[in-house]
Amino acid sequence: MGAWLRGWRPLLRLAWRDVRRARARSALVLALVALPVLAVTTALVLTATADVTGDEAPERRLGAADARIRVEGLARVGQTADPDRGSAFGEGLRDDLTLAGVGDVLGREVRGIEWESTELSVLVDGRGVRAAGEWIDLRDPLTTGLATLDEGRLPEAPGEVMVNRALADRGPGVGETLTLVDGSTLEVVGVGEDAESRAFPHLWSPQRPDGVPEAQGTTWLVEAGPVTWDEVRALNDRGAFVLSRAVLADPPSAAELHPEVSDGEADDALVAAVVLIVVMVLIEVVLLAGPAFAVTARRQARTLALMAAVGATPAQARRAVLAVAVVLGGLAAVGGVVLGIGLAAALLPFLARWSGSYPGPFDVPWALVLGVACCGLLAALLAAAAPAWLASRADVVAVLAGRRGDAAPSRRSPVLGLLLFAAGVALAVAGTRQDSYGENWVALAAVVCVLGMVLLVPVVLGLLARLGARLPLPLRYAVRDAVRHRTRTVPAVAAVAATVCGVVALGISTSSDAAQSRETYTPQLRHGEAVLVASEATPEQWERAEEVLRAELPEADVSVVTGVPAPTGEGDVHVAYRPPATSEDTWLLGGVGSTLGTTDVVAERIPAALRGLDAAGRARGDAALAQGRVVVFTDEPVEADRVVVTATSYDGRSGEEEVLADEVTLPAAYVVVAEDGGTPFAVLPPASAEELGLPVATTSLHVAGAELDRDRERAVSEAVAATLPWSHLYVERGYFADDFDELVAWVLGALGAVLMVGGTLTVTLLALSDARPDLATLSAVGASPRTRRAVAASYALVVGGTGAVLGALVGFVPGVAAAVTLTRDSYAGPQQVVGPFVEVPWLMIAVVVLLLPLLTAGVVALATRSQLPLVARVD
Amino acid sequence: MTARQQHALLALTHVSRVHGTGATEVRALRDVSFEVAPGELVALMGPSGSGKSTLLHVAGGLDQPTGGSVAVDGTDLSSLGQAERARLRRTTIGYVFQDFNLIPALTAEENVALPGELHGLRSGEAREAARAALAELGVADLADRFPDDLSGGQQQRVAIARAVAGERRLILADEPTGALDTSTGEQILRLLRERCDAGAAGVLVTHEARHAAWADRVVFLRDGVVVDEADAGLTGLAGMTGAR
Repeated sequence: MGAWLRGWRPLLRLAWRDVRRARARSALVLALVALPVLAVTTALVLTATADVTGDEAPERRLGAADARIRVEGLARVGQTADPDRGSAFGEGLRDDLTLAGVGDVLGREVRGIEWESTELSVLVDGRGVRAAGEWIDLRDPLTTGLATLDEGRLPEAPGEVMVNRALADRGPGVGETLTLVDGSTLEVVGVGEDAESRAFPHLWSPQRPDGVPEAQGTTWLVEAGPVTWDEVRALNDRGAFVLSRAVLADPPSAAELHPEVSDGEADDALVAAVVLIVVMVLIEVVLLAGPAFAVTARRQARTLALMAAVGATPAQARRAVLAVAVVLGGLAAVGGVVLGIGLAAALLPFLARWSGSYPGPFDVPWALVLGVACCGLLAALLAAAAPAWLASRADVVAVLAGRRGDAAPSRRSPVLGLLLFAAGVALAVAGTRQDSYGENWVALAAVVCVLGMVLLVPVVLGLLARLGARLPLPLRYAVRDAVRHRTRTVPAVAAVAATVCGVVALGISTSSDAAQSRETYTPQLRHGEAVLVASEATPEQWERAEEVLRAELPEADVSVVTGVPAPTGEGDVHVAYRPPATSEDTWLLGGVGSTLGTTDVVAERIPAALRGLDAAGRARGDAALAQGRVVVFTDEPVEADRVVVTATSYDGRSGEEEVLADEVTLPAAYVVVAEDGGTPFAVLPPASAEELGLPVATTSLHVAGAELDRDRERAVSEAVAATLPWSHLYVERGYFADDFDELVAWVLGALGAVLMVGGTLTVTLLALSDARPDLATLSAVGASPRTRRAVAASYALVVGGTGAVLGALVGFVPGVAAAVTLTRDSYAGPQQVVGPFVEVPWLMIAVVVLLLPLLTAGVVALATRSQLPLVARVD
Repeated sequence: MTARQQHALLALTHVSRVHGTGATEVRALRDVSFEVAPGELVALMGPSGSGKSTLLHVAGGLDQPTGGSVAVDGTDLSSLGQAERARLRRTTIGYVFQDFNLIPALTAEENVALPGELHGLRSGEAREAARAALAELGVADLADRFPDDLSGGQQQRVAIARAVAGERRLILADEPTGALDTSTGEQILRLLRERCDAGAAGVLVTHEARHAAWADRVVFLRDGVVVDEADAGLTGLAGMTGAR
């Protein structure tokens, strides 16, 4: 081992000197390796810092208290060190734990204050704005750290309130009055900020205003000395979640946790995705840095031959090239990490200002960062591997005699390439047949295909050279030179191809995904109509909301939809319908919709808002309702004129069930609806609903005939929120592409273009610097400056064009496979499979394959110096 | 086997080297046999393309003969693998080239120490041997200079130091004075002669008859064939015109 390491010393010394001599080339490799390391390190540090976990900044959640204890009436709970990761166990509910009870469990005296949090709506300019209400006395020292006071004073009495800047900027400031949606008012005495979030409107008051509904559960901040993990477990057994300062600082091991509560295992799919991304980035970096190492190895050829003459073995020659990778990779990894951490530190204040929440203490996840640095080093080593291998096989005598000593190309690697490519195709096909995780198979297939393609690039270039005999001189020269210098051309072409492959694959899969969304889009309402739904609203609130709608949308036709209210936290009523003489689990509808806020409409006519049934069906329904029959919707015709209805109510607080109607048979009419209609189960005449004992209320307001653009939609929503805080206005606009998806596609496309152009430029410039003697000879025999530009541009065209065509072809494999996997299970209706969708974005592919290489060639032609200093041919 | 063959440090027996096949076939060496004993300096003369350099590459194991055998210090090179031949070049054989061929990124001392370091010697040990070799050749004061900062004669002295450092006994010199002025060239040849007098075996490829005069024997090559072999003292200038 010692001798082996000693063997590296002169090689590393040689590499270090070489790196310093060839500054431009070294800088190129350094940048290629260091930039991804820097970017990932910055992202890791920012994420780790933004993520306030464990014992980082406990005062933001605990204030100065020893623990935060919360009871939600559950019988028994389990949790990790952080109660946000916890769950309830056992049956039943219990509401008996008090602050004194906490003291009993801990066996010592406990001082605590109650802290209630609810969301509420406040009125700003007559419109409803949601805000977080913290009902706690901030003057108590236990709350130190939860919030800061920036202006005015802390609220002392009920009716006094401190608001945060986000709310103060929109509404009342210190000395002014804040109005809640119920009309009650609070006096703003201070402006401050929450320790965790500042983007969302916040307000603090010692006591919850009367108009604001009571929060579920109770929270205390307690002063009780360090609360140990055993004590946390004891409190868990009494149904309390505990955030303990002592436990955060010294969290329990995984073995001490309840088996059903874990610290969150890594998501397999996520891990697979991350691994794939790392592999693809690694491949890209390796391919981009490869040409630089190929040139390095060529420049070193004579040194290597000399070393061989003085007794270096082929392995030592190989290591001499790898040593350059060790030096550059090491420098790039260390530099990337250091700069990445520095950049993160520099960006942190901007990020904090922009994100609306406060980052935690500066946090460098060293293990991950080290892994990233190792990946950087590995990328450099892999990039140098092929040039090193070829350099070690060079003909020493030929090199010493001043000739090129390239070894013959391997005959095995194209075969291996074909095998790998075939394996990739097989994997992709297999992926499309998987029931789950098929997309992981396809992603793996993409990697295998790209690896196979890399090995096939020399063959393609060879074919091109053979076809090149008839090309004009600049192109012919470029093709021949590209083939002659395989070691630098192949990785560059492969880098471009890999990039294009990725872009094409992603392009096909995203546009197919979009095609699926477009084709299978199910409108909830007729185009242009809107519906307002709300939960837990009183009849008066509904009336006022209706008035607001009519006032805001005078041209619209507003109608009230009544029915059995949708489930809420308080409970729900479930109604089941089946034709007589069928089993209990008979389903009449494949898809049920609650667009109108209910699945059981109660009305005397079929609501105009209902879609999915034709005029005849509507007429039949209206007639049946007029006769007092229940209109039951169904996918398939049903021959029956009665329906068996069962209704059950469930109390969310007590967990008790009550049967309202047990197998009651009523006269009915069955109306067939379109499969994707999203219709409710049934429309019941009011008399039938009463007979069944069903609760009936307004469930939504339907709006037709209004021009609702996005601005008007927001204005109407906020106006309604002033009376109906928990409401949602849905406007049917048909299918439209998700802005975010489009943005992602554009960013990926731009990144691909940058990589592609960058890769082409890199290798073209390297090639041109390498080919200076040849170009000088060309000039000497009378080539015009224009010829020189044309040769340079041709070089870019050969590399970019070959890579783009090859990559696009290969990209179809994972692209189509991913499209099939993602869109195979597309349903137009419950039984109607319409997938898979495969849509090829031809325009994008044309841009990538035709336009970008031409563009790059143009840039190269413009950037090439037409005057060349005369270079003597020196070996 | 003659007594000379028995004691020879380098023995080529019926060596031939053919490049390419068919129409492109070039016979660089044909049935070449000669030996070099310790203490002996053999000059190899012949016109361009006569196979001198090929012979030197074959003798040092950088190239493989297509026929016949090459033995260094009694070991048949064809029985050795690439790594073992490389080892032989680190321990027994030293090359000196016309254009010095020092590695520009390494100092004089590091260039001379390179074979030793490649051989796995401790850095200090290899440098010590290198300094000794440089001192022997009278260039100890140049140890820390880079090749670019040395004159041609100085570079060639360093190159010879690299070829002899660490007790290597076979020196293969390919026109070592070709790039030097006359007086510097003479100094270099004197050094080579001294090394051989001290017990090394030397092969000197040269164009010039007066350089051959430093040798014990002269072997004439033409078109890959040994056409004459004579003691240097006797040949005088016979055949020199042909060699030129």
